[in-house]
Amino acid sequence: MFKKGLTRRDFVKAGLLTAAATGLGAGVLKPTGLWAAEAKIKGPVKVGYQAILSGTLAGYGEFHKMGVDMAVEEINAAGGIGGAKLEVEFRDSTLKNPEAIKNARYFVDSWGADFLAGVDSSGQALALAPVMAQLDKPLMVTHAATEKLTEQEVFKNGVKQIFRICTPTYQDGNAAAFVAKDLPAMKWATISPKYEYGYTCWGMFKDTLGKLKPGTEFVAESWAPFGTTDFRAHINTIMDANPDGLYSVEWAGELITMMKQADQAGLFKKIKHVMLPVGAAMDVLEGLGAEMPDNIWISGRYFFLYPDNPKNNEWVAAFQKRWKHYPAYVSETGYSSIYAFKAAVEAAGSKDTKAVIEALEGMEFDSPAGKRVFRKEDHQAMYSVPWGLTKADPKYPFKIMGKMVVIPPEECFNRPPFEGAASMPPFKS
Amino acid sequence: MGRYLPYMAFGLLIVLLVCIGLFADRFVLYLTMRVMLLSIFALGYNLLLGRTGLLSFGHAAFYAAGSYGMALFYLHINPDPLLGILAGVGLAVVASLVIGFFCVRHTEIYFAMLTLAFGMMVFSLIWNLRDITGGDDGLVGIGRNPLLGFSIAKDSQYYFLVVFFFALTVWIIHRIRSSPFGLVLAGISENHQRASFAGISIKSYRLAAFVISGAFAGLAGSLGAMLESNSDPFSAHWTHSAEPVLVSLIGGLHTFSGPIVGSVLFVVLREIIERFTQNWMLWLGIILLVIIMGFRGGAMGSAEQYLARWGRKFREESAS
Repeated sequence: MFKKGLTRRDFVKAGLLTAAATGLGAGVLKPTGLWAAEAKIKGPVKVGYQAILSGTLAGYGEFHKMGVDMAVEEINAAGGIGGAKLEVEFRDSTLKNPEAIKNARYFVDSWGADFLAGVDSSGQALALAPVMAQLDKPLMVTHAATEKLTEQEVFKNGVKQIFRICTPTYQDGNAAAFVAKDLPAMKWATISPKYEYGYTCWGMFKDTLGKLKPGTEFVAESWAPFGTTDFRAHINTIMDANPDGLYSVEWAGELITMMKQADQAGLFKKIKHVMLPVGAAMDVLEGLGAEMPDNIWISGRYFFLYPDNPKNNEWVAAFQKRWKHYPAYVSETGYSSIYAFKAAVEAAGSKDTKAVIEALEGMEFDSPAGKRVFRKEDHQAMYSVPWGLTKADPKYPFKIMGKMVVIPPEECFNRPPFEGAASMPPFKS
Repeated sequence: MGRYLPYMAFGLLIVLLVCIGLFADRFVLYLTMRVMLLSIFALGYNLLLGRTGLLSFGHAAFYAAGSYGMALFYLHINPDPLLGILAGVGLAVVASLVIGFFCVRHTEIYFAMLTLAFGMMVFSLIWNLRDITGGDDGLVGIGRNPLLGFSIAKDSQYYFLVVFFFALTVWIIHRIRSSPFGLVLAGISENHQRASFAGISIKSYRLAAFVISGAFAGLAGSLGAMLESNSDPFSAHWTHSAEPVLVSLIGGLHTFSGPIVGSVLFVVLREIIERFTQNWMLWLGIILLVIIMGFRGGAMGSAEQYLARWGRKFREESAS
């Protein structure tokens, strides 16, 4: 049976086809040139930032905020990220795990964040890992230092959404051991916080120093619970053991208290080599002022006098002008975390999670702390932070680093696959 | 009509919760789960505080027992969620039996201080037994395996499990309160000397109330561990013990629904305040102060009083 001409059905079909072709054509023939560049990244780029803003450590949160606010002001004044405005919202992390999780969920599900950053405590960072996998947005950790986050969660469990821009415990344990091996000290002791961070750092220090300098003895350990205000018993334990060197990862207010009490007890006259992996934090240096003894080894996650190059010096000057403070290390990591997202979004041409993660992996970028590279395997930023000896300087109302020693991260950071002795320093190559 | 009112309210609540589960976005779901967990914790707790008249500052220990019991069971023995919850509640019951045995001999401030001391003992145990509890890092990596063949991995699925346990808790606590056992507890609270003259073994009743409230704290803890996929040492801290106290006070100590209403107010108010100011602690504190001081008997307590007055007025008017 043959039909003549077009039936009504054919007519409709043809119409639909034409319409579809027109639609497709418009889609395929994207506008190029100027127009495309404008519409690259849609809407504002939103970053949800959480840090401790209440309680005794609230000062840390304020320093986070100063760095981040500066980055936002600069970026938006210069036209935003790929033409899109940058928005940041802060939330108090309170150091409790359920609050950190609630904040992350609020940022992504309710506020519509594209990226998350911040996080102070290691417990929070570890608790956030499965949540980030579920929410599927990148999280840039700017303070929490536990190596388990990058070794276990990112590398082994494959939570690719997490990156860390600050130095991890390798700087506190391994790098300290590299400095200690050149000191004329064979007997070491510690006063450290009685929680995971303290145990981990001291363990790394012992392990690496033991390998670098066989015959080193570790003669005493004294663990101070969270919130210790009287360190005299701990100081006495250490002085009784008569070590050549003291290693302590006490931090913030507790470190200030410990240093004052140790000075009163005459510890620094007896023990000549003292290493404080987080002693170069601005709250500690400013808090102790002239009471910080000379010739103490200190380090941190960034120190404002290193690297001595135009980028860093200009940044420190701008920070000083804006906030009347020297930048704390969390100010630098907070500031750089925003720039890392900017660089990744612009490289990927999108704020889509997958594209940004791919762009961040192995990405090299310049920051006040120097050149940083995100290691592909574990998403840890590789950059160097100095260890230095304290000395007075008339230009500053607090002690600064005089002699500096830099241990390259390639030498002192654990390496993938994070199993066995071959993954831990010292490395042969 | 009045007799059926509680059942209607309960039915309405469940319908509302199911609607939230079906239509709300992921963050609202999460907050609702947090409200329900806090409600379970506080409903059990209020059996002790509101009904029996014992102020405990150590119930976070049982919440943590549930949380760590669940986590340890999941990580080392069996990853089944129901068995895990059972293990968590079991550990909480054992802990509350032991701690309760020593505490219920005393009342008032002595009881409060004893529970506080035992609670902080549990906290320091968790903090220091690093090899078992993970120290301050807590236990991480608690997954949600299928329950009786149903997946609960997604929040929108797990939500209904929480609703189920919440409804179960409301029903059980309601039954306990209106049972002879619950009435004896109220009697002890009113006048414990008179109750003991009537031949009631006060200590056993107090211990029973203590263990029941501990069990529900454990239930909330084990559900919380699955929700957040970790166990947190600070969940055993006394500051966490203060939450059910606060929530019961806000909602109304002497009402059944007080802890639920209190939980809703506590979580939602904080969420709203946090959107306006970073200084949320101050503002939440002020608002809670106003509620506790301005509304006698808590939100539900003063609502009941108001309704009663209004009802009387209405009846008088219609009679004249």
